[in-house]
Amino acid sequence: MATIHDVIAPFQLFQPTNLDDALDLLDEHGEAAMVIAGGMDSLDWLKDRLRQPQVVVELSQVSELRGIREVDGGLEIGAMTTLTEVAEHPAVIDRFKILSDAAALVASPQIRNQGTLGGNISQDTRCTYYRRGWACYRAGGNTCYADTPTAINREHAILEASRCVAVNPSDTAPALIALDAEMVIRRGGRERVVEADDYFVGPDTDIRHLNVLEPRDLLTTIRIPATWAGARFYFEKVRDRMVWDFPLVNVASAVRESGGRIVDARVVVGAVAARPLRLRAVERAVTGQALDEATAERAGEIAIRGNRPLRYNGYKVPLMRNLVRRAVRGGMGASNA
Amino acid sequence: MGDTRLVGQNYTTPDLHAKVTGRSKYAEDFRVDGMLFAKLLLSPFPHARVRSVDTSAAEAMPGVRAILRASELPEPADTVTDLGETIRANPLSERALTDEPVYAGEPVLAVAAVDEETAAAAIEAIRIDFEPLEFVVDPLVSLRPGGPNPREQGNSWGRPAGNPTGPLVVQRLEWSEADWSEYAEGRLPAGTPQAQWSYGDVEAGFAAATLVLDETFSTPNTQHHVLEPRSALAYWRDGKLYMHAGTQSAVQTVASIARWMRLDVSEVVLLTEYTGGGFGSRATGAVIYTIPALLARKTNAPVMMRITREEEQYIGGIRPGVHGRVKAGFASDGRLVALDVFTLGENHAYEAQGDAISSGRIISLLYQPQAMRFRGATVLTNTPPRRAQSQPGGLQGVMLMEPVMSKAARQLGIDQVEIRRINAPAGKAKFGPPAGNGELQYSTSSFMREALARGSEMFDWETRKARSGQRQGSKVRGAGVAVSSFVGGSVGFDGLFVIRPDGRMYVQSGVGNLGTESYSDVHRVAAEMMGMPWEKVAIIWGDTSQHLPWTCVSGGSQTTHAMSRAAHAAASDAIAKAKEIAARTLGGNAASYRVANERVSDGTRTMTLAEVARRAIALGGKYDGHELPTNINRVTTVAASALAGRGLMGVARDDYGRDGGTFSFVAGFAEVEVDVETGQYQVLDYMAVGDSGTIIHPRAYGGQVLGRGVLGMGHALAQKTVYDQHYGLPVATRLYQSRPPTILDVPRNMKWEAVNLPDPETPVGARGIGEAPVGAGASAILNALAAALGDDVIRRAPATLDNLLMALEHGRPMQEPLTAHI
Amino acid sequence: MSNDDAPTTRSGPTSLGRRTFIKGVIAGGVAVSSAAYLFRQSPTLSGQTARAGGVERLVTLNVNGQDRRVDVAPQETMATTLRYKLGLTGTKLGCDRAECGACTVLVDGVPRYSCSVLTHTVRSSDITTIEGLAAPDGTLHPVQQGVIEEQGFQCAYCMSGFIMSAVGFLRQNPNPTREELAHGVSGNLCRCQDYDKILTALHRGAELSREVARG
Ligand SMILES: Cc1cc2nc3c(=O)[nH]c(=O)nc-3n(C[C@H](O)[C@H](O)[C@H](O)COP(=O)(O)OP(=O)(O)OC[C@H]3O[C@@H](n4cnc5c(N)ncnc54)[C@H](O)[C@@H]3O)c2cc1C
Ligand code: FES
Ligand code: FES
Repeated sequence: MATIHDVIAPFQLFQPTNLDDALDLLDEHGEAAMVIAGGMDSLDWLKDRLRQPQVVVELSQVSELRGIREVDGGLEIGAMTTLTEVAEHPAVIDRFKILSDAAALVASPQIRNQGTLGGNISQDTRCTYYRRGWACYRAGGNTCYADTPTAINREHAILEASRCVAVNPSDTAPALIALDAEMVIRRGGRERVVEADDYFVGPDTDIRHLNVLEPRDLLTTIRIPATWAGARFYFEKVRDRMVWDFPLVNVASAVRESGGRIVDARVVVGAVAARPLRLRAVERAVTGQALDEATAERAGEIAIRGNRPLRYNGYKVPLMRNLVRRAVRGGMGASNA
Repeated sequence: MGDTRLVGQNYTTPDLHAKVTGRSKYAEDFRVDGMLFAKLLLSPFPHARVRSVDTSAAEAMPGVRAILRASELPEPADTVTDLGETIRANPLSERALTDEPVYAGEPVLAVAAVDEETAAAAIEAIRIDFEPLEFVVDPLVSLRPGGPNPREQGNSWGRPAGNPTGPLVVQRLEWSEADWSEYAEGRLPAGTPQAQWSYGDVEAGFAAATLVLDETFSTPNTQHHVLEPRSALAYWRDGKLYMHAGTQSAVQTVASIARWMRLDVSEVVLLTEYTGGGFGSRATGAVIYTIPALLARKTNAPVMMRITREEEQYIGGIRPGVHGRVKAGFASDGRLVALDVFTLGENHAYEAQGDAISSGRIISLLYQPQAMRFRGATVLTNTPPRRAQSQPGGLQGVMLMEPVMSKAARQLGIDQVEIRRINAPAGKAKFGPPAGNGELQYSTSSFMREALARGSEMFDWETRKARSGQRQGSKVRGAGVAVSSFVGGSVGFDGLFVIRPDGRMYVQSGVGNLGTESYSDVHRVAAEMMGMPWEKVAIIWGDTSQHLPWTCVSGGSQTTHAMSRAAHAAASDAIAKAKEIAARTLGGNAASYRVANERVSDGTRTMTLAEVARRAIALGGKYDGHELPTNINRVTTVAASALAGRGLMGVARDDYGRDGGTFSFVAGFAEVEVDVETGQYQVLDYMAVGDSGTIIHPRAYGGQVLGRGVLGMGHALAQKTVYDQHYGLPVATRLYQSRPPTILDVPRNMKWEAVNLPDPETPVGARGIGEAPVGAGASAILNALAAALGDDVIRRAPATLDNLLMALEHGRPMQEPLTAHI
Repeated sequence: MSNDDAPTTRSGPTSLGRRTFIKGVIAGGVAVSSAAYLFRQSPTLSGQTARAGGVERLVTLNVNGQDRRVDVAPQETMATTLRYKLGLTGTKLGCDRAECGACTVLVDGVPRYSCSVLTHTVRSSDITTIEGLAAPDGTLHPVQQGVIEEQGFQCAYCMSGFIMSAVGFLRQNPNPTREELAHGVSGNLCRCQDYDKILTALHRGAELSREVARG
């Protein structure tokens, strides 16, 4: 059978207006249902006709899922809050600057006006082979097309690859992990709370998905504790073009210092593996050390340990090393906002 | 020109109000009652043959009206040129559909249905069986001994050994093992070429040179990415085909459609007021337009073919990437004494696109080598169609030479502006290839040195040069200059207008409207000569049933030059007629009359042009178009005849002499700042100075100098095609993957300037500026990067951050310079 | 300034026969076309169950200040509805994938890619397209006027999108620098690459907007 793109196949559309209806709909339709938040990722699959769900549950009318609330010095961000709202919210800018920096560097203004924080961290990989519908591991097949001698893998993983070499392309995900955020997930009447670092999964855990969401799950809230409010932050995204382009590598860090020494730190790098990598070894190594060039140097070296570049993505190794150095050093802020 | 009220002034073009209010209609904005929708089935293979097709399930679907197969396309027709010469149809030329697709994404068949949803479902219901054939997407892979062929017949166009004057055929070109000895070091092999020429004593030049460089560089394949995909609407009425479609020439596209459809030109009406970009890819429309036309005939209903962005990526066109090996010998003062250039161009598996071969001519003109040898070859691959793109061949020539000039200047200790000035063409500058008699050709004029001088002053070159290469933190700046040139005009087209008794001037414009505004700008020349206030001038364009004259294609920077000459010729004709009418009506000698301010007068006796128009109708004959010049094109004769009797007609062919070839020149200046820890860089500033004669419309001119400059920057920054060689399939099928420049990738405050000295070989003094800025934009950036990071870091374009970072990290170039589409 | 009745401007095919044949689709308030165009028409417009969250196909959209009843398929995007159902073809489709901005419209004053919004999600919003910017008497919006004055853009296929982005951005940032304005309209691609002239024109539009606001 021949294939064609760019005409969305028909589906049944549901637009619940409250959370309970949304959860009921997901429960009822289970695997047959697709959740659409801002649609900036999901519509792509529909337009390519690679996913032809019977039912679409579209969340734009559920006002409970939208907005930013201040709670105990931290924040609760509804999953449907747009990236623009996140980037421009005074409390985010004031206390959790890496998150607003990250959100402001996603894609383009119009995409940020529509794409949601929940959708941004739940988006699928941009591996071109996978997204063109090739039957790779991630698509349920038994090979990886991006890891062959001729494969174009400039944007793929240098760490933690296991059969699949795709990366998570989210800009906000590393920032949320660095802030010790928690994801609140509802299924039917049950709620579970997952640490940001555990929300994302690598191929050795689940080769088909980048996160722990399952059918019937609804991500409702992203909680940011007060822990890192006002810390020394650093976020940087390196990309080809200044608009639209996904990160080649991004980095987010939060550092607490006292008397020139690092007391505690979070360092997270994105787009180098199937999940954003919290660099615990780096964090351990820098804690208690002087906040200086030597520490930054060492952090960079530790960060890239175990890297395994492919034919075209070797540059990610020095890039990651240098970004981690900067993240530990802090100071320069986002390179381009 | 005496009175410069219109030429050289800014004004509001006639199309702008409709554009800002959203009322301007492009092809896909039209709706017709009962309109059907066409969808395409694209080849999933880089090269295959359709073995069988089962459309029964699709045809049984309610709402499916017709399926069009390649076998139903009219046979390709021979072309008869303007001069009556017959060019035989090429049996291996690109067509709208094919049963032997030669690239992934090539349209195989089309379905028409009552809506797109049905058409798409019908395509999915078609069972189609392909026999995969041998393929190759990298020209160098194909050239290897025993390498794969993109076509069963071979990998290149040429004449068989036995028949050196016969038609071109596809045959095998192969380079021997010995040719590849330096390939591993990243040097382009120079095997058997397909074309070559030379002048001067090249070997003696190298022997005498102080510095000899031998450099390989590769330019990218870049898609045109016109923003309006080539959608088209077709319907038949009263035996005529009506098409709404974008083009770079309203008039000449009628001829193309007629040829593809095997119709007479009188049976085709093209409606094309607005076109969303061409850049060479829609020179005379697009062969794909035949699909809705044939489906409309088959279904007896109007058919809309909406082309998607992905389809546009396949069929829209690609500028051919060119590998170049340049051996250059310099005297100690920087003069280029000997040059040996070898280019290898990549092509699709249809007609050859000439960029690799034509690049030599621009190189020769732009850098004026004392002796030069040029060799080149073009190799077919199973990738999408290569089409001319702004500055075709010229851009590649510039991009191959500029790194060499920069490196030579650095090694000889000469300023970058100075080395380009020393080697710049001036006045009637000579260039190769030599003509049949061994003589070199020459340009009509060149003020390249003036452009360089203006630019370096305005750009504050000395200050920026001084801070080049200096590091602050992780940032290094670099300043670069580049020169560029391309053809700036053609000759021999027709002008046509009528001044009617209502006192208004109605100008027939056959130029395609791509927003460069030349479709209107050039006629300001005629209006000014007639002393017509612009408010009284109506431009008739975009509807070929409205009697449009023979016109050039808006490509290759032809229009401003060609059509301002044609406008000048038509106005001269009308002025002569008006003077005669005045003398016949008012008495006196025609020669003592002057046309100005809507009047013809000898100082004492005066007639308005409205009165002249009335008299012209009364007098008939040549005055109102009942008698026409014999040297105008047949298209113009038909158009003018239809307008006869309406007033005073200005109609003439541009028969003005021209000594030399018309070329325009640009000097571009850029400053960049590189972050050496990430490889990411920013273009801080850009300015360009154009030398293309008299400026007709400054704002439109500036838009071209900078706009085409940015188009060129795309080639330096990030734009490219990407293929997996093993599967022969594209992995960049979307805009965000092929990366044309965004507004944040270019400086926020660019500047442009023009030398503004008239070209002596054209009556209006104006040349075109659509092409020359492209190479300046691309190479100024690459040169600025080299100034910041050193020579040899960049061996292919685009200069993406991964390659910069790896070279910085390893202290040597880390790119694979010669692998295609990575 | 030119306007459409000026002799220098001629729009559309002139033969009367064709003119009636081809739909004059732009004028506001024209009855919604009954043609299905891209998507199949619903078998029965009212046949859908009105259960919790299920959508009715026949919806009312507020476009350019007018309520328009229109039959919308569940999978239909806003660009499709505007262009094919409401005849508002000033909104262009360059990529249909959120990668070019040609389709930008304002939804409650905020720039969005209409190619990537399901129409059903904007049922209760105010939608503004390029056709809705000028005043009813034809007076252009200051941003449109800025483009006229500076001859911004070339082929203009990107123009509606850029203008809508600029208008949306200026609501929040009425006095931007050139740099800020570039960021504001950065979600719009111009392939004629006329960015410099576009910025000049839109910046002039910002200036004119402030003059209008001052009265
Ligand atoms: C051209 C382009 C460029 C882009 N560039 C970038 C970039 O540079 N950086 C970047 O980070 N992103 C980028 N994106 C991605 C874009 O920002 C994300 O796709 C977007 O944020 C996803 O959010 P959304 O709200 O649109 O989610 P959707 O597309 O609607 O959803 C994404 C996925 O998450 C699931 N989902 C969403 N919300 C929930 C929920 N509440 N509960 C359960 N499941 C849910 C959906 O089912 C779907 O699988 C780009 C996208 C495009 C089209
Ligand atoms: S058409 Fe919507 S962004 Fe390109
Ligand atoms: S003006 Fe042509 S795309 Fe912008």
